[in-house]
Amino acid sequence: MADGIRISFSDVAKRYDLRVVFRSVSGEAVPGEVLVITGPNGSGKSTLLSILCGLLRPTRGEVTYQRDGRIVERDAWRHYLGVVAPAMAVYEELDAMENLRFFARVRGMGPFEERCRECLDLVGLDPGRRTLVRGYSTGMAQRLKIAQAVLHDPPLLLLDEPGSNLDPAGKDWLEDYVGGLRAAGKTVVLATNDRREMEWGASHVALAG
Amino acid sequence: MEWIVPKLVSEILKWVLLVWLAVVILAAFLYVQPAKGFIGESSRIVFFHVPMAWVAVLAFLVSCVTSVMYLRRRDPRDDIRASVSAGLGLLFAVLATTTGAVFAKIMWGAYWNWDPRQTSITILLLIYAAYFALRGAIDDPERRASLAAVYAILAFVTVPFLVFVVPRIYWSLHPDTIINTRGANEFDSRYTQVLMASLVGFTCLYVWLYTIGCRIEEIRQRRRQEVL
Amino acid sequence: MWRWLAEAMAVTAKDLRTEFRTRVAINSLGLFALTVLAAVSYTVGPYRIAAEDRPFLLAVLLWIVIFFAALAGLDRSFVKEEESHTAPLLRLAASPSAVWFGKLVFNLLVIYMLMAILVPLYCILMGYTILMVWEFVLILALGGYALAVITTIVAAIIARALTRGALFSVLSLPLLLPLMIFLIQGTAGVAEGSPEIVSSTVRAVLSMGGIMTIVSAALFPVVWSD
Repeated sequence: MADGIRISFSDVAKRYDLRVVFRSVSGEAVPGEVLVITGPNGSGKSTLLSILCGLLRPTRGEVTYQRDGRIVERDAWRHYLGVVAPAMAVYEELDAMENLRFFARVRGMGPFEERCRECLDLVGLDPGRRTLVRGYSTGMAQRLKIAQAVLHDPPLLLLDEPGSNLDPAGKDWLEDYVGGLRAAGKTVVLATNDRREMEWGASHVALAG
Repeated sequence: MEWIVPKLVSEILKWVLLVWLAVVILAAFLYVQPAKGFIGESSRIVFFHVPMAWVAVLAFLVSCVTSVMYLRRRDPRDDIRASVSAGLGLLFAVLATTTGAVFAKIMWGAYWNWDPRQTSITILLLIYAAYFALRGAIDDPERRASLAAVYAILAFVTVPFLVFVVPRIYWSLHPDTIINTRGANEFDSRYTQVLMASLVGFTCLYVWLYTIGCRIEEIRQRRRQEVL
Repeated sequence: MWRWLAEAMAVTAKDLRTEFRTRVAINSLGLFALTVLAAVSYTVGPYRIAAEDRPFLLAVLLWIVIFFAALAGLDRSFVKEEESHTAPLLRLAASPSAVWFGKLVFNLLVIYMLMAILVPLYCILMGYTILMVWEFVLILALGGYALAVITTIVAAIIARALTRGALFSVLSLPLLLPLMIFLIQGTAGVAEGSPEIVSSTVRAVLSMGGIMTIVSAALFPVVWSD
């Protein structure tokens, strides 16, 4: 697809002072495809995802975003990216619509009211509900995170255990939704331990751990 | 390290430095008479105090410059240079503060009176301490390097205000107003000779310690990389 | 450009809204300031300091209270983002300069609110007569701005470190000390009514604020995005 993002990473390694997270990981995801990253707990799936988002610098190796064959600069990655991760929370002292309105405003999106409502409807949350996120169940909070990730319709989605905390109906919905994203030509990178989620993509990268 | 001087030459230079500093120390006590306007032998402290303060500031400058270079090139060696220089700067700042306090006690009866120069060197010490506190609090090596570099630059920007503006406003006890603002030297030529020689000697001492420190740190980092 | 401003204001508005709902920063700053004020007023009071020392010593006490109240609460806007794990999504959504400016404005509003309550209270309780009132307001405004700029970038730095609380004060103090010295002098000047001190203070604080603004705007993206 012309507008899609191709993400590739080669020889990526991450080390902190006292420990090595992983030594050398490489992979690639193209539009219309789901890249699945697997590995036991503590193998660094979330760390790798943070590196792929541009939130963390790797100790070694390179991550490249390409659009239409042209390289996208790291500063611009966030415009093309939507992320759902356990370690990334939405604002607890705001309610659902306030959260989405904030993210829309801060991204500089045009008229956003309709779009925010749409996203909440999409994930099964009530736009009219004024409860602060602090009072949400983990499943509801997860749905809000998904809404936040797709708000600006990004071509690349990085999902870290997106089905966690969702009820069975929610997991079914998520599977369909990711399938829909793939069909629409989005690029999806999925980090998971869930056997069912692992089936959603053909190409796999396994972290040793 | 790109200290391109061949090994034999650097060995010789080390010994030259040793002899130079030894001569300076001897000269400080034997070659020069105590200066006018100073109580007793206290003017001899100046031969050590002034170069130490100078090196403390020089080290800070080097730290700041290498920090800027790190942010531009992201070369880990620049971060090594910045932290080694800061370490030396801290050492010399402590030495300068102590020699200054001794001098103050002799001349004005109190070890510490917070005149602007003493205030400035204290702030420099605080900056160094803060710099290392920051480094110690971050475990991600790349983030540690960039945040430390940012702080070094921020701190450096405050220094001109300290050094130039504050003393102008406050009346100062410090005798360097004698050296700087009046044209003619209050000291005889021997005094100036030894002072200059001491400045050169201490600067070379700093350069030598800096080179060694950077080399050690680089080796240490390389060992750690091999684990990876 | 206006879009950037709107983005920054979105950050400010969000911080104000969450702060209003939790009241943590307001509490820590406010409580600290009022407690110290009460202690100083009770022990020192309006009578204990001799007339000729009043302009200077009362200036010293005032700025100590303001600065330490600031150090008690101004790291909040960055530290909270990291502690509640909302910082990553903010990094992915907002441009660094919008975040910087938005949080700077937030800190500035907090400082000005603190000053608006604290300063009149202080002057009344301590019997601090200021001869040049408008100049005093100017010094407070400029000083508050410089304080906000410096604490904003330092807060951003320490939010990403491990031991945040003590580190904020340790890193801020060396940078704030020169500012504090200028402001104390200037305040003593307005209390006595001497214009030369006031003008040199205004110049010093203005240049310090200006330089720190430029340097922190340039360095913030590194601190935020790394």
